[in-house]
Amino acid sequence: MAVPDGLPWDVPAMTRRPEDAREAEFAALFEEFSSPIYNYVLRMVNDHDRAADITQDTFIKAYRKLDTVSEATSTRSWLYRIATNTAIDDMRRRRNVTTMSDDQPTFANRADSRPGPEAQVMAATLDERVQRALLSLRPNHRQCLLLSDLEDMSAHQIGEVMGLSYGAVRTLLCRARGEMRRALAAEGFAR
Amino acid sequence: MTMNRHEAFEELISASLHGDLTDDERLRLNAHLDGCDRCRQTLAAFSDQRRMLAGLRHVAPPRDLGARVRAGVEYASVPWWRKPTTIFTAVGGTLAAVAGALLALVVLNGSPANPVGQASPTPNGPGPTASAPVSLPAQATPPPSTDATPGEPTPQPEATPTPAQLAAPPEPDMVVAFEPATSAGNEQSFKVVDGSSEDVILEPSPPEGPTATTGEPVAAELSSDGTFIAMVSREGLSGMDQVLVTHVGEGVAASSEASAEPTPTPPAAIGGTTALGASIAGSPFLERLAWSSDSRFLAYTLADPNGSGTDAWVFDTATNEFWQLTAVGDAYAASWVDVPDSEVPALWVSRAEGTVTSYLTAVMTDDGARVERVNPAADPLVVAEHVFQPLISPNGALAIYWDGVMTRLGDEWVFGEGGAPYLAEHRPFDEAAGSAFPEGRQLFSDLTIDREAFTSAAISWGTDGNAFAVWNAVWTGGDQGAQGTYPDEARVYFGHATDSGGLKEDHALDQSDLPADWSIVDVKVSPTGQDLVVMVAAPLAGDLSTPTAELWLVTRHTGDVADESRTLKSGEGIWYGPAVFDGYVEVDPGTETP
Repeated sequence: MAVPDGLPWDVPAMTRRPEDAREAEFAALFEEFSSPIYNYVLRMVNDHDRAADITQDTFIKAYRKLDTVSEATSTRSWLYRIATNTAIDDMRRRRNVTTMSDDQPTFANRADSRPGPEAQVMAATLDERVQRALLSLRPNHRQCLLLSDLEDMSAHQIGEVMGLSYGAVRTLLCRARGEMRRALAAEGFAR
Repeated sequence: MTMNRHEAFEELISASLHGDLTDDERLRLNAHLDGCDRCRQTLAAFSDQRRMLAGLRHVAPPRDLGARVRAGVEYASVPWWRKPTTIFTAVGGTLAAVAGALLALVVLNGSPANPVGQASPTPNGPGPTASAPVSLPAQATPPPSTDATPGEPTPQPEATPTPAQLAAPPEPDMVVAFEPATSAGNEQSFKVVDGSSEDVILEPSPPEGPTATTGEPVAAELSSDGTFIAMVSREGLSGMDQVLVTHVGEGVAASSEASAEPTPTPPAAIGGTTALGASIAGSPFLERLAWSSDSRFLAYTLADPNGSGTDAWVFDTATNEFWQLTAVGDAYAASWVDVPDSEVPALWVSRAEGTVTSYLTAVMTDDGARVERVNPAADPLVVAEHVFQPLISPNGALAIYWDGVMTRLGDEWVFGEGGAPYLAEHRPFDEAAGSAFPEGRQLFSDLTIDREAFTSAAISWGTDGNAFAVWNAVWTGGDQGAQGTYPDEARVYFGHATDSGGLKEDHALDQSDLPADWSIVDVKVSPTGQDLVVMVAAPLAGDLSTPTAELWLVTRHTGDVADESRTLKSGEGIWYGPAVFDGYVEVDPGTETP
């Protein structure tokens, strides 16, 4: 698992207090999941600063509730659930969703700031075009697609994260794939 | 709508990509793919799509992320009384609210600044009867009384209560109980239970409709004759809501004597649930469910996730049909109004863009046809500028509405500048009043409303047409609290229209009334006018346990007497609530304002 260089909260630093197993457990959790959670949130909200804020809030909440984690196997779903909840809460509260600043590094520009569609399709990188297609999806479709294809979760795990039944996830994923197919076609991916 | 044969296989193709097929499903899919070009193309497209998403560039988090989390965690372990408020600005944008929750641990109710009887939030004085519309008292006159002249002593609790107060129990008539699907594979279930016993009133059938799902209910309203419950249910953490309506019974017909016409027999079977549409989950403005006084019509608002904004919708219990009333992208359903000389009520519909304005809108033409996809500004019965989503009191006499400048937030609208709720009389057909909402005044009388103010809040009237509750109030301005954070999103503010002092900081419920760290989902005012049924949801636990919500009954006291609170409904893994009351009695035609 890739961990950013120079992370100030490294395991050795935390284990300097071996009596505190909770701290060590949390440090390990942060090391393993901070980067994937950040990327998941980043693809959800398309804004580096907000993704960092949401990831930060996710881990602070996780720390406060660490005592309630009962099964190691579900830790990942639990963390993604907190991240999802925090990201949705952020999306509900943000006040200027339609006025993203130009100097903000993002994967995809807003539609109204693009050049002509053809030039834009030609100029954008593959990553930008896929991200732009993702952003055009409704939030629940974007979430379940990212959890399935970026995070490689099963329908059962996605259900744990999103609070949906197995059957509901399968239906939602199918609709999301159909919507993504049309969005990718609009970005010039023919199939 | 029926699914065609290719669509049925698309779900199997999608599930096959992550190995979620049973053996039978795999055999069926393979057999179909052998002879279907279209589905083979779908499989190829879905597979490409999965590869593209899996191959998205990995981005390193900011280098200081770990330090920021550590600062946040260490800060959380500092006792609240040692925390300077300024530190919150350095730790993240959302922590100002946390600061409010931490610092507002003062028990407000016993404040000597608010003795009983001095324009206090006391609910003990006699309120207006349900059939007698109240007028607002002059502002800032001391006692909140409908009978006493200004300057006279406040009525004491032993004053003769109205019949409604004597008869009404504080417990809700019905409670929605939802058991979410569990990781153990249990499917979700959904019930309507009695508010004061363990009796199950109804186990509704699953909602009808191709996209219908049920999730945790977050808002619910009972039609005034008790025959239908309308609900907003949350689709897990997906950011989407469903609006549902369930036919719960033949009704209590609390006000049948006042109605000359029998309620039409609804075609939907008892226990049947109809999905009325999906919406982006958003502010409380979207969760407004408005029943007409004759229980025939439900009005609600859907925010379209595909970008066409918000519009008002109507459901007709007489035909079990629903339709899109407006097509303007910034319209919200508000409240129904009985129109003189008309059998069909009209709906206050509010538009958010520009100057917020409400339009009293007909939902049926004179010849009985549905009014569909209109601009409510085109042909309104009454217009009220600077009025957004007026919530009309159950007796029709008063309104709580919003004013300010709204801004589009994704697929919905919230207040961006100077947003605040106001209390006014409601006289839509009284030309002498000069306005449909005369005598307007700030609901929160002790707040200075500036450019930075409320974004939104949830508001609910009591059945007495006097008591009201405000919660989930999102405030973006500076803290104006004298005793803690104020306004505070985590608190419930409980007021009375007849209180001449208005709603103030010390009208908040005691913090100890409700479980710490639980979030408020819904509040209903009991017909007593002094009890609240508060629905609270548990914070996310680390064991992935199912979402849990409880109902608490809080009896409001003032002065040195602490509130009383007790659990009404709770159960592990069960989502109890919202609660609903029937007995939303209609206005006595003999006393209605002309």
